[in-house]
Amino acid sequence: MICCMANPWKFLLPQLLVFLAGIALADAREPAALNVSIAVFDPGVPAEQSLHRDLQVFPRIREIEAMFLPFVLRETLANTNTWGAVRVVPAPDVAAELLVSGTIVQSDGENLKLRIRAVDASGHIWLDRVFAGTVTDSYATRDDTYGSPGYWNLYEEIADNLRLARGLLDDKTLRNIGEISMLRYASQLAPSAFGDYLNAAADGTFTIHRLPAGNDPMLERIERIRGVEFVITDAVDARYQELHQEIASIYDLWREYRRKAVAYQMDDVQRVQSSRSDAPRGSYEAMKQLYDNYKSDRIIAQEQDRLAVAFNNELGPKVAAMEARVAELEGWVDEQYAEWHRLLEELFEVETGLSP
Amino acid sequence: MPADFSGSWERNYVLDDEVNAVLREAFNRLSRTSPDQRNPAGPGIAMASSRDVSSLVALARLAELITRPDVLTISQTEHEISIERKDDYAMLCAFYAGVAKGIENGYGTEICGWDGAQLVSNLVLPDGLQVTHRFTVSADREQLRVVTTVSSSTSRIPFTLRRFYTKFDRPRSSFNCIETLSMKRVCSTGEILP
Repeated sequence: MICCMANPWKFLLPQLLVFLAGIALADAREPAALNVSIAVFDPGVPAEQSLHRDLQVFPRIREIEAMFLPFVLRETLANTNTWGAVRVVPAPDVAAELLVSGTIVQSDGENLKLRIRAVDASGHIWLDRVFAGTVTDSYATRDDTYGSPGYWNLYEEIADNLRLARGLLDDKTLRNIGEISMLRYASQLAPSAFGDYLNAAADGTFTIHRLPAGNDPMLERIERIRGVEFVITDAVDARYQELHQEIASIYDLWREYRRKAVAYQMDDVQRVQSSRSDAPRGSYEAMKQLYDNYKSDRIIAQEQDRLAVAFNNELGPKVAAMEARVAELEGWVDEQYAEWHRLLEELFEVETGLSP
Repeated sequence: MPADFSGSWERNYVLDDEVNAVLREAFNRLSRTSPDQRNPAGPGIAMASSRDVSSLVALARLAELITRPDVLTISQTEHEISIERKDDYAMLCAFYAGVAKGIENGYGTEICGWDGAQLVSNLVLPDGLQVTHRFTVSADREQLRVVTTVSSSTSRIPFTLRRFYTKFDRPRSSFNCIETLSMKRVCSTGEILP
């Protein structure tokens, strides 16, 4: 409840002011400038716990990456000036004009693989493929505010793919997506009033069956409610931005250690191959080398475990605090949403005389 | 888990096997099982081939090297037992849904399991080289016995050494420390929340 939050307006007021100032500009938005919601990524942690060590997957760190990496994509998209508002959201919003979701397939400091899926409000898939990036030499030198410069190409490739997909659509289709987005939102919030405006096909796509009147008071209410929800969403997005700023340098340090560990492991393989002993099979020297080869590889793996613990020690409290703040905002939205849903359904009944 | 090995353990040299004595006994055994025994050099004297002897000595040296750590630090959770040894990798025994999970890298395979209340770890390396540790804790959890057997396809008999450890309490530090990435080890006299 808002009454119980530490000071919700401290978080919400700046966004509210921006929202009010932006109302006048809202109508001026180009139809092509769809709003983009980027959901916090799926960490891609295998359910089979016994595989984590083999795959060098550290679940808690993957969870942090799942919150951290979407923000880099958000910045890349926002910097293209191609889109409307680009927001990071805690969970997929099916009514979003364009919803981008992702799964971390691989992240080892040297390589990053993300499966990215982009679906518009009409249910059409714009993109569904794996993007892979490798740390480049520029990693060491490029000073970048948003971190992860080594993977900059990967994010730019995603942005280019989205831009190309959008380029295939005409203004009418893009406007249509915006209308479907609003109607899907409206049908979730007030199903009695807006439940039959859309046709849902078996393949998950939506088409407009009919449109409400331009001055439909119920639609105006819903637009206002959605505006308020965007304010909260922006507040949540700001939390992800703060988190990003707080942990970027430490995350880069972690990635650098991981990268070195992978490089060291490869060097070790070469060392083993080049220093193959001529000692006779069964001799002490030959057996000791076999044991040392195994031992060396295990020590490298253990060092990575130790670094993962150190990473979590340092960032755990920050991430937990951020999660708590987001949960507060989300909780408040959920409660308000339920209340709005109830009020709208009652209003519909009063205004039409029909039971919801 | 059938037994609790957690804690810090220091070598009890008094109880330990003496390597040379074990090696002498192994030589005798080798001689008794030697094919050359059918043609002994003299009455009551059995001979092992020099190849057998050098293989056995190699196993003994490796066993002595592996069992050298004088302190073991064992941590145990519901799923894992980790045995830290100075100058060696930490042996890890992980169980998921009661099933032991092996560790495999390009150089060998490590598997562990329970034999009653004994924890058994087996490392299989190339050329038929195997290292097996068998951990047993006393009923009062004050003594730990580790029986290490090294065997190889190049040796007719394995070599086994017993090491004994006594539990000890590490002195409590007045500092609480955690590892971090950016500041390395961070210590405080107060509580540090990870």
